[in-house]
Amino acid sequence: MTTSPTDQHAADPDERRSGTSTVRYVAGKVGGALVSLVFVVALGFFLFRMIPGDPLATMTRERPTGPEQLAHLRERLGLDQPVWQQFLDYVGGLLQGDFGTSYLYRRPVGDMIAERVWPTLLLVGTATALAVLLGLWLGVRAAWRRGGLFDRTQTGIALALWSMPQFWLGLLLLIATQGVFPSRGMTSVDQPDGFVMQALDVGWHLTLPCLTLLLVIYAQYMLVMRSSLLEEMGADYLRTARAKGLRDDLVRRRHAVPNALLPTMTLIFLQFGMVVSGTVTVEAVFSWPGLGLLTYESLRGPDLPVLQGVFVILAGSVIVMNLIADLLYRVVDPRVRAS
Amino acid sequence: MTSLLELQDLGVTYRTGEGDLEAVRGVDLTLQPGETLGIAGESGSGKSTVVASVLRLLPKSATVTGRVLLDGEDVGAMRWGRLRAARWSEASVVFQGAMHALNPVQRIGRQIAEPLRLHTGASETEIDARVRELLEQVDLPAAKARAYPHELSGGQKQRVMIAMALACDPRLVIADEPTTALDVIVQAQVLDLLGRLVAERGIGLVFITHDLSVLAATCSRIAVMYQGRIVETGDAKDVITAPRHEHTQALAAAFPEVGDPASRYAPATSEPLPQEGERDPQQPVLLSARELRVHFRDRTGTTVAAVDGVDLDVRRDEIVALVGQSGSGKTTLARTLLGLQRPTSGEVHYDGRPVPTSSSGLRDYRRHVQLVLQDPSSALNPRHTVYESVAEGPRIHRLGGDEHDLVVAALEAAELRPAAQYLTRLPHELSGGQRQRVVIAGALALNPSVLVADEPVASLDASVRGEILGLLLRLRRQLGLAGLVITHDLGLAWNIADRVAVMYRGELVEVGPVDQVLLEPNHEYTKALLAALPSPGPDDARYTG
Repeated sequence: MTTSPTDQHAADPDERRSGTSTVRYVAGKVGGALVSLVFVVALGFFLFRMIPGDPLATMTRERPTGPEQLAHLRERLGLDQPVWQQFLDYVGGLLQGDFGTSYLYRRPVGDMIAERVWPTLLLVGTATALAVLLGLWLGVRAAWRRGGLFDRTQTGIALALWSMPQFWLGLLLLIATQGVFPSRGMTSVDQPDGFVMQALDVGWHLTLPCLTLLLVIYAQYMLVMRSSLLEEMGADYLRTARAKGLRDDLVRRRHAVPNALLPTMTLIFLQFGMVVSGTVTVEAVFSWPGLGLLTYESLRGPDLPVLQGVFVILAGSVIVMNLIADLLYRVVDPRVRAS
Repeated sequence: MTSLLELQDLGVTYRTGEGDLEAVRGVDLTLQPGETLGIAGESGSGKSTVVASVLRLLPKSATVTGRVLLDGEDVGAMRWGRLRAARWSEASVVFQGAMHALNPVQRIGRQIAEPLRLHTGASETEIDARVRELLEQVDLPAAKARAYPHELSGGQKQRVMIAMALACDPRLVIADEPTTALDVIVQAQVLDLLGRLVAERGIGLVFITHDLSVLAATCSRIAVMYQGRIVETGDAKDVITAPRHEHTQALAAAFPEVGDPASRYAPATSEPLPQEGERDPQQPVLLSARELRVHFRDRTGTTVAAVDGVDLDVRRDEIVALVGQSGSGKTTLARTLLGLQRPTSGEVHYDGRPVPTSSSGLRDYRRHVQLVLQDPSSALNPRHTVYESVAEGPRIHRLGGDEHDLVVAALEAAELRPAAQYLTRLPHELSGGQRQRVVIAGALALNPSVLVADEPVASLDASVRGEILGLLLRLRRQLGLAGLVITHDLGLAWNIADRVAVMYRGELVEVGPVDQVLLEPNHEYTKALLAALPSPGPDDARYTG
């Protein structure tokens, strides 16, 4: 609604406006994330109640248990209460940071998750960082020479890897490397001394699971980067940049890629949460002591408190990552700040 | 003396999926320093291809024949390094559509500074000073260097493009449609700026546009392009006063001069309209607004009055032109009249009764009052055939009768004849003018009594403009249709409207018969609008045919 005579003195209200609207934007996004979190907690609780299998039967499989003892155990675990009462107790516990107690290990679920979360973060963080770097680099190159040999072969390879089941690719890599890399665990049985040596030992163990995950997930970063760069390639401002006399690679680096990165960035953050939840198979194949392996072990019970805890943590991480992506997008794209 | 720019027998051919396309053929042009050369032509005439060939910016699919000499040096024979050095420092371009030609995520100061960093060895402080100086030269405050493109208005972005083009003091500037999509007052400012820069710095300017009247105001020589060739070239005044080629004549007629009796009620059309007969001025009022106000609240909570107390009548058998700058509230007013926007206060009446607010009542109302949008390419669903597009309205309103007959009749009324030939076509198989006719047919299919048209010809080529305006005028005469045409183009009002309403900052500042308002304006704003129209200068002996 600006007409040219009023343009000059528009600066002050503009700045005030951007201040208040930032607060409103952040508050709106955080509020939305909290609502999602509430849904996740409810969903997690009721979803796992539908898994077939009686936890009590699993717990007492080894030793004969009389009905009296069973009733006692049921009462101790709170399973004799109506479902809605169990849910309220569960939510009440969550609010105090209590995730409940594992049926199988008789330990606080919070402690178990805290132990397992770091290995998963290490695995997923490393794999994602590498996959993003590799995917973006390949995507930019493929798009810039669209339809060329590089584009066709790399797109084909990426798609083929993406469509492979993780456990199968992991087993293939294990066979192919013929025992060069350790096949299970995160540390050697006889751990070496000194921080550096221990770190190297972990890295050694990390190689195969990380490579498996990397190969499966890099394709999506590549393909999204490729298509969003292709969309920018016809843009008029690139012609302006060329007309200014910029070298081709500068046109790409300074003008095309920053614009094409915007949609890709959202995906990276959104995908990080998804990759965390997708590590179950890789961790199971390589016995990597993370959340995925914990889930895999708990499903046999079913160890409901552990499953619920892991579910809340994984789903929560997706929500938090999405929130970070939204907030970061606003920092990076000046147009989002305006609207 | 060597010419600044010389095109010798330039030809450009694009390789496409359907064979070769000769975009430019045998073009010869020269430009001396300090001279302004205008190139006029419609979309597809090859004018933008000529621009791109000067700096060798053509896509890979293009083959160039002939020579382009920049200051005597053959651009086609330059090595890459030499070409990159010549780009922007010797010749720069003010690209069409400034909103897309600027990088959306970079501050404009950085974009203006970029060629300076590239081509000069200036220090950062020198570059900062130069950017400030350039912004001041185009009448923008230096603080705007920190703005992003989306924070600027269309006119401001265009100025940024000009500042950027001047950054390295080039001797040649090519301006590709620098004022299209700007409204008249901003256009006048930009033209004035370009003219001043040419005069002060002795640069050569190539000015490309489809609007001959703009060239008349700025150029010494004009070349007219049509289908890739130059069909006419000569002194600006000669080309405009006595166009020889029929295409030039069509272009000249498409932008009538306000006040020229020959173009009153006579848009440039292939079927001349009969003389305007006697008309009954006391036709019943069909659509009226009383004390209409539409207020919006922006994010800071400040109330903005987009429409601020408007009274307007549209009678049967009458075309009213609603003119004003962008941002004056024209579109909001039209949306409110159509019931697409709820008014804050005031009333809209149709046929003497208030317009209903219920959704079923509004649906009935919209049958009688139909909308024609600016850009037919986006108004039509690209996957719907012409038949589907036109039949959609009657289906929604469950009109009785044979659907096929209705569609054919509507297409015939919109002068798409024979209608049968168009029924199965998709929008991309039609020309811009034909698409706009399909949109109009879609409106006519409901047998409305009022057409509201928002810039109906703004996105069409000059030669099609007259045909669509002629159609609107014939529809009024044959069907007694009332029309409310929203436009920033005073020539359009002169061509077809009976009355004109001038809108400024949400209010109608002047309403009256076209001859009275446009020839003897009362309000200062109307005078400013008329004064901003490009004119060829003091000796005004044009259009004497």
